[in-house]
Amino acid sequence: MSRLATQLAADLPGESGSGLQWIRALRDTGARHFRKHGLPTRKDEAWKYTALGVLEQGGLRLATKTEPPSTPSSHSPPLAQAGFNLTMLDGQLLQQSGTPRAGLTVLSLADALSKDINGLQVLLESLPQGNSGDGFSALNTATLDSGVLVHVAAGTDGGRLMINWSTQAREKSLLFNTRVCVILEPDARLELLEQFESPQGNSNTCNIVLQADLGENADLQHIRFQQESEGAGLITRTEVSQQTDSEYAYFGFDLGGGLVRHDLHATLLGSGAKSDLSGAYLLDGKRHVDNHARVDHQAAGGFSEQFFRGVASGSAKAIFNTAVCVHPGADETEARQSNANILLSAKAEINTKPELEIYADEVIASHGATVGQLDEQAVFYLRSRGLNEQEARQLLTTAFCRSVSDRLRDPQLGEVISQRMMDVMPQAE
Amino acid sequence: MLRITNLHARVAGKEILKGLSLELKAGEIHAIMGPNGAGKSTLGNVLAGREGYEVTDGEVIFNGKNLLELEPEERACEGVFLAFQYPVEIPGVNNTYFLRAALNAQRKYRGEEILDSVGFLRLVREKLKILNIGDELLHRAVNEGFSGGEKKRNEIFQMAVLEPSLAILDETDSGLDIDALKTVAEGVNRLRSKDRGMIVVTHYQRLLDHIVPDRVHVLADGQLVATGGADLALKLEEQGYAWLEDGGIQTLNTDPVKQTANP
Repeated sequence: MSRLATQLAADLPGESGSGLQWIRALRDTGARHFRKHGLPTRKDEAWKYTALGVLEQGGLRLATKTEPPSTPSSHSPPLAQAGFNLTMLDGQLLQQSGTPRAGLTVLSLADALSKDINGLQVLLESLPQGNSGDGFSALNTATLDSGVLVHVAAGTDGGRLMINWSTQAREKSLLFNTRVCVILEPDARLELLEQFESPQGNSNTCNIVLQADLGENADLQHIRFQQESEGAGLITRTEVSQQTDSEYAYFGFDLGGGLVRHDLHATLLGSGAKSDLSGAYLLDGKRHVDNHARVDHQAAGGFSEQFFRGVASGSAKAIFNTAVCVHPGADETEARQSNANILLSAKAEINTKPELEIYADEVIASHGATVGQLDEQAVFYLRSRGLNEQEARQLLTTAFCRSVSDRLRDPQLGEVISQRMMDVMPQAE
Repeated sequence: MLRITNLHARVAGKEILKGLSLELKAGEIHAIMGPNGAGKSTLGNVLAGREGYEVTDGEVIFNGKNLLELEPEERACEGVFLAFQYPVEIPGVNNTYFLRAALNAQRKYRGEEILDSVGFLRLVREKLKILNIGDELLHRAVNEGFSGGEKKRNEIFQMAVLEPSLAILDETDSGLDIDALKTVAEGVNRLRSKDRGMIVVTHYQRLLDHIVPDRVHVLADGQLVATGGADLALKLEEQGYAWLEDGGIQTLNTDPVKQTANP
């Protein structure tokens, strides 16, 4: 085990904490897994391009439960207005504001656990953590306590729920573990907007596991925007399970962060379910962003799309792995994968890999992954109208990423995000 | 306004323009006709400053400035506009946004006030009215999914908004049916002005039925080999370009252009 993993294992509490028997047993399972396997290493195929040395050098320690301050130090303005807002500071629910719509329930995870909410146990116990690459999830389970439960009652529309994430800078770097559980009952709808922005000079790492359970014909739109500071780490895992005719739409925007890793996984359990995953990552400096998206089609007639666009400059490194597995019996599935990247400097690196496994019949599948440069014809066209070369290139790279923000159902939010992308658009070197 | 003297240019190591000379005064429209491979499109691209077109000799003076020394965007800001033979599709860039950015880049260069979105929209509406076209192209991405006619109409619309003093229309008629051709030609005619010079590059005479030029030049093998009035185009239509090979310029009864540098 790495020095970091040994340190974090030592930081784990010796006991399984308080609460119901099943919760303590769950924490025990996580702790045992972590003590056995530690953190993933580059020997794990899924972590081939992402080393955790930078976290180790930062002397990262496991955060123990501390009292959060009464007000967040400084918060970036929210990307959009939401009916209900949650402020998460140092991995803990600090503040709730707004009025939840009828049918929407939001509880701190600690509250939810003490109340033994229906469906929560099944959801928490369903998180797969079988292999040695799941160290972060195991750690998250071992410390299960902080987080949020979001529940939308059958047939209701929860509206937009905003979660504003940040951590505060300290002398030492801390690792915060948080769990977000989202349960959409049949025919329920929700738009979940997550914004990650911490003040500069921050060297904390958040390890967040989000589990969503979508009932029949439920609809979850999940927008995730991160512009973390260059020293900050963000390790996230999103696990979505989808029943018949449910729809999950994910829109991810990575504009910042030092070391960023996101495992995004949708499992289509019911027939006719739809999973629409898209995202853009714009990196410069020494940023490292590793996205792993995977869709498992386990039922017939499902549809999935993965649409990701990336731009890397400086000596940044982007990893994009997209996988689709069409399991036996998932006939008449349609699965599309598209990942295109623009490399703006000789030192930047982009690793993209599409994976496709099909074990069913009558499947329509397509995939494409490219790494290239800007279209020089287009650059000249813009210059011939008066834009200088830098403006032309910036406009084109923004447009390339806009193809993701334009997919958002709320055009106003798409405009705000595309402006933010333009503001940080990496320059060619 | 524009004086091209003894222009030689190479593309990918091959000499295409071999001593072309031309003078265009403000308010004039000159047509350049010629067979395929004569160097018609090369001329437009050299004037606009496209990369890969190497000028090996000669000069181009535009409003007193050495045009060939300027970057493509500086040429645009000085008032040069190339209507592309193949306008480029740019997904994700809104047509209106792009045009406003271009216009403001030019205004900034010339020390003029930047137009805000209200002022810009007012200008756009005025130009749409002059060209007698609808606003359906405004809200789409630049040329993305446009038909051939829409692309060319969009070029003329850009020209109307940017108000260049020199417009070069590079085979604007190619790929257009007769109705689209008329619409585009009418747009060009509405933009004729005493302050604006235009060079209309075309393979066929039919565009010149609608845009009547002051002068017609015949470009062959990198040089202007004949010059005449609008009627020269009609003669070319009758006789084709085959006479060029027979050296039959005189039979056309035109005033041959004096070549300054014959190899």
